[in-house]
Formats: sequence, structure tokens, C-alpha cells
Amino acid sequence: MTILMIQSHYQEPFAMTAPLFADAVASGVMKVVREMELTEEHFDTARGLITTTHLDQIGFQRFSSAVAGFLDRGGRWIHHGHILRPILPGLGTYIPMPQPKRPDFDQTRLHDHPIFAGIDQKKLETNRGVAGFYGRGHNPPPEGAVVINALGSAKIPVDWVWARPEGGELLSHAGNDFWGCGDDPEIKKLLAHRSVAWLSGELN
Amino acid sequence: MSILAIHPGAYYHIETLEAPRYAHYFDRLVRPEDLSGEDLAEHAVVFIPCRTPADRLAPHADQFRAYLDQGGTIVATGETALEVFLHGITFTPQPTNWWWWLTPGADLGVRIASPDHSLFGRLGERDLTWHLHGWFDPPDGSQVLAINGEGKPIFYVDEVTTPGRMIITSLDPCFHHGSHFMPATTRFLDGFLPWMREELDGAPRK
Repeated sequence: MTILMIQSHYQEPFAMTAPLFADAVASGVMKVVREMELTEEHFDTARGLITTTHLDQIGFQRFSSAVAGFLDRGGRWIHHGHILRPILPGLGTYIPMPQPKRPDFDQTRLHDHPIFAGIDQKKLETNRGVAGFYGRGHNPPPEGAVVINALGSAKIPVDWVWARPEGGELLSHAGNDFWGCGDDPEIKKLLAHRSVAWLSGELN
Repeated sequence: MSILAIHPGAYYHIETLEAPRYAHYFDRLVRPEDLSGEDLAEHAVVFIPCRTPADRLAPHADQFRAYLDQGGTIVATGETALEVFLHGITFTPQPTNWWWWLTPGADLGVRIASPDHSLFGRLGERDLTWHLHGWFDPPDGSQVLAINGEGKPIFYVDEVTTPGRMIITSLDPCFHHGSHFMPATTRFLDGFLPWMREELDGAPRK
């Protein structure tokens, strides 16, 4: 069983994430599939799933049954970006923050999910001192979801994890791929490493 | 006539093409995979949003060429590897300086090269200024609309490669606007899309 990473952008594989996942790919733990070559069989053999901000959410609808089946079997999915075409019952569409100011990007850890546990969330708050890259809104958490990280005094749920009643787990990050945020390369590596472990079922 | 936009389906495409702010500038949306069933000649303009995966358009290169050969207009925006599916494109990517604006008084260097062009009744240099992703070597006879700090074209009109018209830029407004992230990109679309409707699709001037 592998982690299926769906590559939605045209550039060479891993143009955006290569160093972080090169080992997982080389060892066969992670399989990268160009989105247009995706088949339902890819979901049958996957233990984990990564979709990026560039996912063709309209085209991905054709895999709604396959995604539901993957989760029903206990699969774990990390979803990045703004949900505008919900693929599962219970998911809603992205809500941007209206005209956010700097304090609205302050980040707070609300739940120590194993991918983020022990990592100072403030280290992900800015890139070169500029806030707003991590997230600027939220995908509405389904009933029963646990909020991991929140934005601003309004505690906007930018990251949450949802254990579906039917099985499987979805971790939603409503922004650019979270292992690309912040300025600390060691934290990026740690987030990527832990994500692979969590998707593999080895980190719980 | 009408404006056809290609709809690759990422969230930033959905936000740009479907949300009320700009949806009325696009009369019809077509998925790249459905292009072969579309008669492009029915449309005055084919709009290709930035970050459209080029391998999803490559199978339709001949269809685009035929459309241009009968006088059509293609508007194509950046980070799309246009050379994969359009003729006459020579592009040199450049490393993007995401942080130029952190230096007080910094200037990215974008300049309007054809100030008398009708587009610049609606857009100023600050509306073209966010990031640079690369420049073009347009064919002789093209009209350069904007250049980078080294004087290289980043936005031009090519009416020489084909009997039609290609309006080409390396700017990527849809990605940033659709991410709710870059005010200049929204200003760009606020100016460019009404211009496209008025000047390229022949809508009455308001």
C-alpha cells in the first residue's frame, strides 16, 4: 500500500516539493500520478492520499466514489487549498476572510495533531516576516472535525482533521501546501516526514 | 460574438471564472478535455487562464492554429508553457523574486511599452506589477505592450505569426486573484476583462 500523490500542475514532477519527498518516492512509499492519468485502481492500492492546491476539483469529481471508498477502507487524505467543489457529503465551500489585517493571520494551535505536535506554530506564521501565506480563510469543518490550527482572534479553522463516521480521515489545510510555509527548512522537512508517516498509518 | 474561457478546474480558476465579479465576461466555459467538441470559430476570443496545465492543451494545438488561421483571437496568460500548444512563442523563464517589495522604494521594473494602446486607458503600471516569471522574444512586427526591468517583453500582441491575433503575457493574474491574495492582480483583471469584452468582442463602449 502506498501514498498516492496527485500531481496536478504541469511542471516536472516535484518541481515544487521534490526535496521533501524524494526519499519517500525513491523507496516506493509514495507514488506520484499525473492527475490526468489517474484511475480508480490507483485508489484501490493507496493507504494515503495527497492533493495539492492545483487539484482540478471539477475533474476530480469523477473519482467521488473512489475517494469515498478509499476513506471507507480507513485511508487518510491530506487536502491543500480552497474547497470549491466538495467531493464528499459533509464538506462545504471555502470561506475567505473579508479584508484580513495582520492580527487576523496570528496562528494558534488548538489541537496537538501528531503532524504538528511540538512544532511552534508561530514558525509557520510568516515567510520573511510577511504573514498571510499559510492561509487566508477556511474550509468549513464538517461536524465532528477537530480544529488543529486557527487564525486570528476569531479562531478561523485553517487546519482541521475529520475522522469520518464511515471511516478514514481527512486533514484539510486551507492554503498553500503547509510543508512549504515558514522559513525554517528543518520544520518543512519534519512536517513532510511526519505527513508521510501519518498517511502510512505509522504516526497516530 | 462571445468569449470562450478554458476552465482547467483548480480553485483559483473556479473563483476567477465563475464568481460574480468576473463571470459575466465569459460567455462560455469549456474544459480542456472537451475542446474538440467546441467550434472555436463561434467565439471572438478564446481566453486561456494562467496556470492551465500545458499538457492538457497540447492535444488541441492544431485546433488553436486553425482558429487563429481563420482570424480568431487567443488571449493567453502566464505560467502555462504556451510554447507547448501555440505557434511563435519563444519564452525564457526567470527566477521569481517574490520579495522585491519588502525593500523600501523598490521597483520591480515593469513598464508600459505602448502607452497609446487602448488597454492602458484602463491599466497603469502598478496594475501590471506583482511578480515576474519570464520574458518573450516576440516575432518581428509584434506590438509589445509591457516590458520587464531589462527591457524584455512580458506582454505583447502578435498579429504576424497567423492571420489571427495572439495576446500573450507571462503575468499570472487569475492564480493570485483567485487565491484572494494580490490586490494588483484584481486591479489587472478589473481593467483587462472589460477591455477584452469591449475591444476584442466588440461590446458597445460604456
